[in-house]
Amino acid sequence: MAQHRAPRKHVGTWIVITVLLAAAVIGTLWVPFYNHLTPALGGFPFFYWYQLMWVPIVAILAAVAYLLSRLAHRGQAVNGQSADNDMRGEG
Amino acid sequence: MSGNAIALTIVIIMFAVVTLVGFAAARWRQAEDRLHLNEWGLGGRGFGIFITWFLLGGDIYTAYTFIAVPALVYAVGALGFFAVPYTIIVFPIVFVFAPRLWSVSRVHGYVTPADFVRGRYGSHGLALAVAVTGILATMPYIALQLVGIQAVLTVLGVHGDWPLIIAFVVLAGYTWVSGLRAPALIAFIKDTLIYVMIIVAIIYIPEKLGGWSHIFSNAGTHLAQINPKTGKPFGSLTVGPTAVWAYASLALGSALALFIYPHAVTGVLASRRRYAIRFNTAILPAYTLMLGFVALLGYMALAAPGVPQAVKANGANAQLAVPFLFQKMFPPWFAGVAYSAIIIGALVPAAIMSIAAANLFTRNIYKEYFNPDATPAQQTRVAQAVSLIVKLGALIFVLALSKTFSINLQLLGGIWILQTFPAIVIGLYTRWFHHWALIAGWAVAMAYGTIVAYGTPAAGVPGSHFGASTANVPGFNHTVYIALTALVINLVVAAVLTGVFRLAKLPAGADETLPSHYHADPPGLRRPRVPITRMTVGSPDPNGRPPVRHGR
Repeated sequence: MAQHRAPRKHVGTWIVITVLLAAAVIGTLWVPFYNHLTPALGGFPFFYWYQLMWVPIVAILAAVAYLLSRLAHRGQAVNGQSADNDMRGEG
Repeated sequence: MSGNAIALTIVIIMFAVVTLVGFAAARWRQAEDRLHLNEWGLGGRGFGIFITWFLLGGDIYTAYTFIAVPALVYAVGALGFFAVPYTIIVFPIVFVFAPRLWSVSRVHGYVTPADFVRGRYGSHGLALAVAVTGILATMPYIALQLVGIQAVLTVLGVHGDWPLIIAFVVLAGYTWVSGLRAPALIAFIKDTLIYVMIIVAIIYIPEKLGGWSHIFSNAGTHLAQINPKTGKPFGSLTVGPTAVWAYASLALGSALALFIYPHAVTGVLASRRRYAIRFNTAILPAYTLMLGFVALLGYMALAAPGVPQAVKANGANAQLAVPFLFQKMFPPWFAGVAYSAIIIGALVPAAIMSIAAANLFTRNIYKEYFNPDATPAQQTRVAQAVSLIVKLGALIFVLALSKTFSINLQLLGGIWILQTFPAIVIGLYTRWFHHWALIAGWAVAMAYGTIVAYGTPAAGVPGSHFGASTANVPGFNHTVYIALTALVINLVVAAVLTGVFRLAKLPAGADETLPSHYHADPPGLRRPRVPITRMTVGSPDPNGRPPVRHGR
């Protein structure tokens, strides 16, 4: 398991990705936050439209996280290491 | 022709089309090395973003979505909506760990999660535990698909077991011939049908029922009635104060469990490139949106005149709510299309699940313990046979367990599969846990989860077994999904014993993976017509076996 870790060049990017993804998890798992009927929207009680609203949001968050991860990855490849044995911390 | 006869005719025609496509799939994107397990079991590991999307969607959105979830919403209200946060948070979770699993599996030629565990921990015992759990947990999930098909057939007036048997013989037939290619190709038809069905249903039915607010208020009135069996209301439009933990833990536990099911791992590994998986986490929520609206079909069924009565007349089987809703709301021909969507939507995942379980048995039990020198062709033959046996095992679950809430079949599978989370997912990040400690934690948690689930009666039916998937946690005074409680016990046991074993200097097995393997992104070769073995990087063996293992 001896490994030589190159310095993490993209720590900032990965922190942003983590925050984006964690937001989706907390926003939908914290039940007391949305466990009520009002305000209703288009006939939907709050409980329902709030959670359904998170579906497009998580898609957008994941898309942004995906683009950021690709950028970080490209940066690593440019730095002279082939993507195949890239050791830098990701994921 | 009566309405049911028209609908049934359409279902039969659609089924025939799907069967033809299933057999024809064997010739789709074919490679030379047809009998290799990579081919039969992973479709040649050559699926791009788009097919991966269909394949993972087919894995996730099944009879669970169309029958089980709306049935729970129909019967108890808001609690059943936990499936929405479940299928939202699953994507961040997949985003984080699935690419690592893909990379290490591609480097070492792993086909199953147990392959990875064996390579990572150098432990046959732990790999066996993961394989057995995967096969066991898949069976009730397939059983749920059967229950879904049965619900549609019941509403169509087709009783008895023979239609189910015909459906399964055909399914087994094309799974045998085409492997993963069959469900991947049929998934196109399935998803098209399903999207059409959902869009029509969520526009047309609320219109007919007088709008969404009318549906919600009507459903609320129904749910507030007192259940004579329990003496409490059936449910409500929000989660009751005692069920908040159940709601969140069902969502979290299900989300953690989903992508360690063997069939979901299969879907991930069949992807051609690493980035295709992350890209998919941004487009798969399209299915979640659909699931959310399908869940609300449960409320539409409560609000639709005649549907609650029809369900009650059929033994109060909540699984019939959606099929009856379609029967009462749609013209017969469209009801037929919708029923076809549900049936095909159950068959595709059943095929994928049985293939994945068969891969597990072949790689990690047959080859490991019965015939270490099995040729790729022999392995494929065994996998074909086992995929059949797994389906028969699912039939036993259908017959043996209560069908009050078919969702409990899936949740029972979740209780089991989640106990492999430490070995698989945590193993992707750290090898701190000792493999014997992981086995001990797994064993304790499996026993705990099974015993508690067995001892949980259905609401209002004292003395029944496997009646619910949430139970009170002693000393915590909240009702929590048993899978999550068991996982905590699992981790505590594994951590404590790891400490003990390290003090005792018990040897930890050899690790054949390197840190860089978890980020590797070898490009897949352009398909088709290239023998799969040439693209399995790091696997010099022409049979595609993982490279030489060390220290054994």
